[in-house]
Amino acid sequence: MSANMSTELKAEPNLTPLLDIVFQLITFFMLVINFSTDNYDKRVNLPVAGSARPAEDQQQVSEDRLVLNVDSQGHLLMGGEVMPLHKASQSIKHQADLIKLNLKASGHKMDERRGLPTTIVLRADRDASFSAILDLIKVCQSNGFRKFALKAMNG
Amino acid sequence: MPKRKQIQRAEEPTVPVAPMLDMAFQLLTFFILTFKPLPTEGQFVMNLLPAQPATEMSAEAPSEATSDQLPATLRTLPTVLKAGQGGTLAEIIVGETVIPTDQAALEKELDKYLQDPNLPFDQTLLKVDPNLKYSEVIKVVNAFSNAFIRARKEPNISFDQLQPGEAQ
Repeated sequence: MSANMSTELKAEPNLTPLLDIVFQLITFFMLVINFSTDNYDKRVNLPVAGSARPAEDQQQVSEDRLVLNVDSQGHLLMGGEVMPLHKASQSIKHQADLIKLNLKASGHKMDERRGLPTTIVLRADRDASFSAILDLIKVCQSNGFRKFALKAMNG
Repeated sequence: MPKRKQIQRAEEPTVPVAPMLDMAFQLLTFFILTFKPLPTEGQFVMNLLPAQPATEMSAEAPSEATSDQLPATLRTLPTVLKAGQGGTLAEIIVGETVIPTDQAALEKELDKYLQDPNLPFDQTLLKVDPNLKYSEVIKVVNAFSNAFIRARKEPNISFDQLQPGEAQ
């Protein structure tokens, strides 16, 4: 008799709407989550500029680019390694050589005036001195890079 | 007839939703914990040619520019940025005029140069003091970029290092 009573009182809430909401939340988080933090270096505090345009154009985002993170001391940060200018220039030259080889292999000719098709994305710290940035820009230019994108935070 | 209804109810399949909900909550917890929205970054895209004598300077100007036939030196607005204490911006010299360093006043002054139809400027060369902080340079680039856009011109900015003793 008592067992019978307990089965009668068993509450069975309808979990389907709750599940629907949870799935919707999961979908939202799956869509907005961004695991690609490879180019985002926390050590770099970007300067603030209101008119910096976000690179939301898919062509701009997907095109060939080389990201250079520069810390407040003007050193290049590459793969967790801090590189002074002479080491950084070797690394940039190596990257440029690889791009030139790729161009050659794909049958494209490098236009000397337009330079390499790769865009240098410069993520430099706001406290870095301009001389360090300009030295890095000159190294890139001497290796055939002409297109630059200076990163800044949208204020 | 009532007997038939009872039989139908008994055959109704029941799917246990609770384990699925448990999994869904675990997934949700994971996504909430790992969710870290990155700050929105913008960029200034520019073509920077290697430094060369001003007479040979030929940064790419928009093809529809009316002043395209003029030599690059005449179309270039020379700007000098001098550093003060701690790498802050102490002085801006546009052409030969010293102009204010605060953002609003700077943009107002730049509008005079870039929106005047009698002046041929469609690009600028920033001669930057090497001790100036990058953030200060970006502030000026930002002002120039805004001024170029207001003047309906493609922002065409290039850099060079200010040599000691230059623009005294």
